[in-house]
Amino acid sequence: MLKIQNLSKTYGKGKVKAVDNISLEVRPGEIFGFLGPNGAGKTTTIKMIVGLLKPDNGKVFLDNIDVWENPMEAKMNISFVPDTPEVYDKLKGIEYLNFIADVYGIPEDIRQDRIEKYLDIFELRNAIGDFIGSYSHGMKQKLVLISALIHDPKLFILDEPMVGLDPKASFHLKEIMRQRCNEGKTVFFSTHVLEVAEKLCDRIAIINRGKIIALGTMDELRKHSEEKESLENIFLELTENE
Amino acid sequence: MNRILTLVKIDLGTTFKLSAFKHKMKNRNDMIQMIILGVALLSLLPAYILMISGLSSIYHAYLNMGQKSMFLLTGILTCQIIELVLGILYVMGKYYFSNDLNILVPLPLRPKEIIGAKFISLLVYEYITMLPILLPFIIIYGVNESTGILYWIYSIMILIFLPIIPLSISSIIVMLFMKYTNIKGKKDLLRTIGYIVLIIVMIAFQLKLQSVAERAIANEDFLYKIITDSTILVKKLGIIFPPSMWATLSLSNLTSISGLLYILLFVIASITVFFIMLFLSDNVFFQGLIGNLEVSTSRGSTKVKPKDFKKQYPSYISIAMKEMRMLIRTPVYLMNSIGGVVLMPILMVMSFFIEGEQSLSMIKLLMENNHGVVNLIGAGFIVILGFLNSVCCTTFSREGKYMWIQRTLPISARDQIIGRILSSIFVQVIGIIVLYGSLAYMRTLTLEGVLVIAILGLLGSIPTGELGMIIDAYRPLLNWDNPQKAMKQNLNVVICMGIGGLYVFGVGFLTYKLMATVDMLIIYGIIAIIFILSSLILYNPLKKVIEMQFNNLE
Repeated sequence: MLKIQNLSKTYGKGKVKAVDNISLEVRPGEIFGFLGPNGAGKTTTIKMIVGLLKPDNGKVFLDNIDVWENPMEAKMNISFVPDTPEVYDKLKGIEYLNFIADVYGIPEDIRQDRIEKYLDIFELRNAIGDFIGSYSHGMKQKLVLISALIHDPKLFILDEPMVGLDPKASFHLKEIMRQRCNEGKTVFFSTHVLEVAEKLCDRIAIINRGKIIALGTMDELRKHSEEKESLENIFLELTENE
Repeated sequence: MNRILTLVKIDLGTTFKLSAFKHKMKNRNDMIQMIILGVALLSLLPAYILMISGLSSIYHAYLNMGQKSMFLLTGILTCQIIELVLGILYVMGKYYFSNDLNILVPLPLRPKEIIGAKFISLLVYEYITMLPILLPFIIIYGVNESTGILYWIYSIMILIFLPIIPLSISSIIVMLFMKYTNIKGKKDLLRTIGYIVLIIVMIAFQLKLQSVAERAIANEDFLYKIITDSTILVKKLGIIFPPSMWATLSLSNLTSISGLLYILLFVIASITVFFIMLFLSDNVFFQGLIGNLEVSTSRGSTKVKPKDFKKQYPSYISIAMKEMRMLIRTPVYLMNSIGGVVLMPILMVMSFFIEGEQSLSMIKLLMENNHGVVNLIGAGFIVILGFLNSVCCTTFSREGKYMWIQRTLPISARDQIIGRILSSIFVQVIGIIVLYGSLAYMRTLTLEGVLVIAILGLLGSIPTGELGMIIDAYRPLLNWDNPQKAMKQNLNVVICMGIGGLYVFGVGFLTYKLMATVDMLIIYGIIAIIFILSSLILYNPLKKVIEMQFNNLE
């Protein structure tokens, strides 16, 4: 599904290596957790996958389509939820969702079903006729989530999706993620909330200072760690040792 | 005062992106962009030199009339009037719509400290706008008159204090305007309409004063006075904006005590008006601002009906609709784009309106047998409005922090171009309708005119729109905290005006040459073909720049 090959990105004339030659593969039907301390390179990697940041080196493939060579084709199958939900504040919620649905060419009946379904799940139906500028951070986050699900993407990428969501919305989001994977689609997300990663992810990668320092299922990660208990302990041990 | 200075320091730092500039000079791509920009600005230099030599002959004309001080008044008055009008535009965005207000208002700062700081930052803008206009006047007069050191000292004082009164007056007008239009509900719409009316009234007031002053000159024993008093013109026309007259008289009476008195009057008046403005700001600023930062909400009352989902549009239509909604709903964009195209045609006829029927009948006589020329001028006017409305040349800059949405969605460059050009055409259509109104008022509108202006005006708006988009896609200004910066304080607008102006001038010149020999209908056809061809020629480079920049932006 998603294949990253030797991806690198440097800032400041090559002085700071934000992402340093990383490679990984995410399979269909998998929830993949991308963990790492602040400034480890998570968001930079995600931005290179979704087309927001051009890699210095390396390739990103989605179903063997080079994301940077054929961006239109790739973007039709990806959706992205950023860590800060900046959405046009002068549009109404419904106008934004219709705009996104138009761009993906979603037919009217399908779009109505999907939008209404997610509006109910995230309890945003009453606010959808209001200007986005009047939304709280969490409401904007929910709107971006709904807009990212309208076209039923093969690859659902989220950067710190739980930040700003209330517990109920968080719960529903996790349900949706699991359900998508059951349907053979893929979820790739970064998080600081280690419990979520531990419970939800099929596989996990830990990135630190731009390099992947651990990759595998929870069991595989435990084998490589002296502290064989929680993901929190493994995470702290691995990132300390670096 | 210290707090004001700290605020000014931060404001100027972020406004002019001083630290970002240092960073840019290290980055090779940005460096190339800066060089291209420099070359673009240098290309305007010949026109500027031409203007200065023109000014020099105006000086000699006034000299021969024995009214050389009128030359100074022309420069000073022009600057102050421009600053007054620009001030209204700048003040609105800076005082009421900048994002830093969310940070500044909760801090323990007094309104006058916030306003004082914002005022000083705006002053810097006004100096930058004013210097290229006023300096030639001061230098031409100073060099020709071989004046002494006192002239230059007075001149520097005038340069420093010149923008203070116009900017203070703009601040007072805008603050009072915002206070009394701070009504819940349709605040944005009310303010936009009020704002356009305000500018029209201000300019009408100036024109009326000018016409009164001119009549005063005509009614007196003018020839006699012009010989006996070398400043009579200044005193008569100076009443349009007295501070300009005081500044001029201080320079033209250098050696006498009255020169000193006039400069003192000018400086003291400037300081007084500034403090009145500051005092007023303490009382009215928050009253106009509070509620401005909140967004109206109606949870639940605006129910979404099934029909709201039943509208599927192609991507480009959806982009055009999104652009139009953002333009209409963001007051600063609305005022600058639609406000601009509504204002310009009205201002065009305003002097006739003020002068009355007499001037109108003259124009009618002049244009009666030249309908073709009127139509061409009308179409040219619409094309010029196309880049003055800044819609296309700021289209990507206006995305700002929302740019990630456009870049992660599967929208082709073709759809981006068509959608964004359509939004500009929408604004242009409004301009055309108002222009029809203006021409109808001057009784020069014909059916042929309606068609020619609409067809040629809109066809011509496409290549200038594409040109603007090339510039804006190449160097989008995405990192802004105040929508005003994306639109009116965006250098792309100036570059677009320069290059677009040359394009329109070129087509205009060709038309002028053809007019003597070729039938008007054929000229219409030739112009239409030029516009269509330029649109097609510009399309591919634009597509390439968009594709490249959507990949490369960081």
